[in-house]
Amino acid sequence: MLQRFLTAGALAIALPFCAHQACAHEGNGDKGGRIVDAGPYHIELVTKDRRVEVWVYDAKEKAVSPAGFKGTAILVVGGKPARVVLTPAEARLTGEAEVSLGANPKGVVQITGPDGAAASGKFN
Amino acid sequence: MSPFRLPAASRAPAAALALLALPFLPARAHEGHDHGAPQPPVSKTIAPRGEAASAAFELVAIPRGDALVLYLDRFATAEPITDATLEVETPDGPARAEASPDGSYRLPAPWLATRASKDDHLDLVVTVTAGTDLDVLPLTVALPKAAEPKGAEPKGAEPKGAELKGAESARAGHEAGHAGEGWLHRLAEGLTGRLSARDPGAGLAAAGGFVLGLAAMGLMRAGRRAPVLAVLVLAATLVLGATAFAHDGDPPETRAAFVPPPTDLAQRLADGAVFVPKPTQRLLSLRTQVAAEAAFRRTVSLPGRIIPDPNASGVVQSSVGGRLAPPPSGAFPRLGTKVRAGEVLALVAPPVQRVDLSDMRQRQGELDQQIAIVQRRVDRYQKLSPSGAVSQVQLDEAQDELKGLKDRRTALDRIRQEPEVLTAPVGGVIAEAAAIAGQMAAPGQMVFQIVDPGKLWVEALSFDVLTPAADATARLADGRSLPLAYQGAGLADRNQAIPVQFAIQGGSGGLRVGQFVTVLAATDAEQSGLALPRASVVRTANGQDVVYAHTAAERYEAKPVRVAPLDGTRVLVEAGLQPGTRVVVQGAELLDQVR
Repeated sequence: MLQRFLTAGALAIALPFCAHQACAHEGNGDKGGRIVDAGPYHIELVTKDRRVEVWVYDAKEKAVSPAGFKGTAILVVGGKPARVVLTPAEARLTGEAEVSLGANPKGVVQITGPDGAAASGKFN
Repeated sequence: MSPFRLPAASRAPAAALALLALPFLPARAHEGHDHGAPQPPVSKTIAPRGEAASAAFELVAIPRGDALVLYLDRFATAEPITDATLEVETPDGPARAEASPDGSYRLPAPWLATRASKDDHLDLVVTVTAGTDLDVLPLTVALPKAAEPKGAEPKGAEPKGAELKGAESARAGHEAGHAGEGWLHRLAEGLTGRLSARDPGAGLAAAGGFVLGLAAMGLMRAGRRAPVLAVLVLAATLVLGATAFAHDGDPPETRAAFVPPPTDLAQRLADGAVFVPKPTQRLLSLRTQVAAEAAFRRTVSLPGRIIPDPNASGVVQSSVGGRLAPPPSGAFPRLGTKVRAGEVLALVAPPVQRVDLSDMRQRQGELDQQIAIVQRRVDRYQKLSPSGAVSQVQLDEAQDELKGLKDRRTALDRIRQEPEVLTAPVGGVIAEAAAIAGQMAAPGQMVFQIVDPGKLWVEALSFDVLTPAADATARLADGRSLPLAYQGAGLADRNQAIPVQFAIQGGSGGLRVGQFVTVLAATDAEQSGLALPRASVVRTANGQDVVYAHTAAERYEAKPVRVAPLDGTRVLVEAGLQPGTRVVVQGAELLDQVR
């Protein structure tokens, strides 16, 4: 009996470790964009024509209010960099580029949190 | 019963232990979510910095006072890029880094001074444009530790606080973000860290405490009070003494005084990797190459020797014995003189023996006498012939006879006076000269050897039959290599091998006939591996062959490899290296000298 308890206990302790190590974050997000790490956050980038939208999540994929955030997206379009300033709007950071961005432009999104710390995520 | 089988009762705890051990195992696959690569150990003498890389570029940024110095290189070749445009997204908005004369880029950074003191890193975005290549690089720069406020706790528990590199600080930030989901995880990491560090102090303290406790228990059971008290007092003294010592040994002022200011020096880190700052990399002109796996023909290396092309070289020999004399130009051609085919190189005057001389004189006298007789007869016939007393036929015969006699007399003179002329059979350069004026040359003796330096061959001894189409190279002792074209192989055995001849393609300047070379000829057998330039493999002090892998912007790791010769300039790495690794191909020897 004691052994069973021990086994169950060990399983209960060991499983969360394994689960934590198996989790993967990068990929596609709920909004149809790409998700990458940016410092303590995860950010999702959605580009539609000239519009850039960035959603900010915390480490547990919970949406973070963009209030107090600011950001800059530098995306490579047709061999030229396009710099887009992002401002909070509703539940996301958004900005308008000067040229059409295409489907999945590569580039970097830098966000600065309310505490002034900047973090950037790279989209390939 | 097998010795490995445990009774059922003890199997469950064993399984439990195994399960518990799982998370502590060091091998962790953490796919898709980069919490930062295992941080290379850094030295206290390296200034904080940050690096970023993409498929095209590698960027290193070092805060220096109120400016940020950036170094930009090609990712694959480590070639410095000095004419790129760097737009940096700073806390004060976009700014452009200006190129410095030393090949770096300088970005004025007044915001470095005004930052909050708790910030230990800075996130920047750098847009790099070099020619047609464009890339956006996120760059995390570790910052020098700001001056600590007075009375701050000594950072004993955080020994690497100042040297946290960009990636590590980012990881720290990220892990703070994960705080909610894993205090257990962090506890486990802490424990494994302690255990893996094998701190002897902690172990000793634990053992000492255990022994003291045992002694106290034993004495209490025996009912003795005084010794128990003594043991407790001893324990208290030890603990207090240890804490006092710990505080004494680590006062913040003395630590600060003894930590030298960070100066970037190339150095070998504790884990054997070599740290080389970017300026030093450029000084040593380090270059890399991305190793790629491919199939190559196996090569055999043969001992070879340079020989003259048989159709473009020749010897000059005297056919008769005689006295050597310089040609009409006045001097024998010196070594290295260029000669044309047919050019007179020397004269050989055959000596006339005394007995021959008297014989010749006798013959000469006879001929002279006959010539005089026939001459008189011709004269007489010429007078009589118009009158018809002597036929024309008789006159003609007499004249022919006179002519024949004169020819014989002339030939006799010529043999006595005219020497043999030695001419160059081919055009080329005098490779060997054995001519001294007045020297007696034996018949068949070589007086000059002429070689065309532009047409040299290599003769190698091969133990197996080479395929005629096989390409080959010759490697010289000084490291140069020459492309060779197969000409033919002999069938006659020589020293258990057959001679194989190759023509040297391209320039053969600086070579000499008879020089030894190593011929590397390809065989039909193919082998796969990573081909690297010969200069990238370094032999270490323990005799092992290593190559240096460029693992991070300023970090090189020695990888022991097994190499096989491939051709004159390249070696084949058969094991020890992954394809895609950036390998130092230039300056590896210099890198190996870093201590």
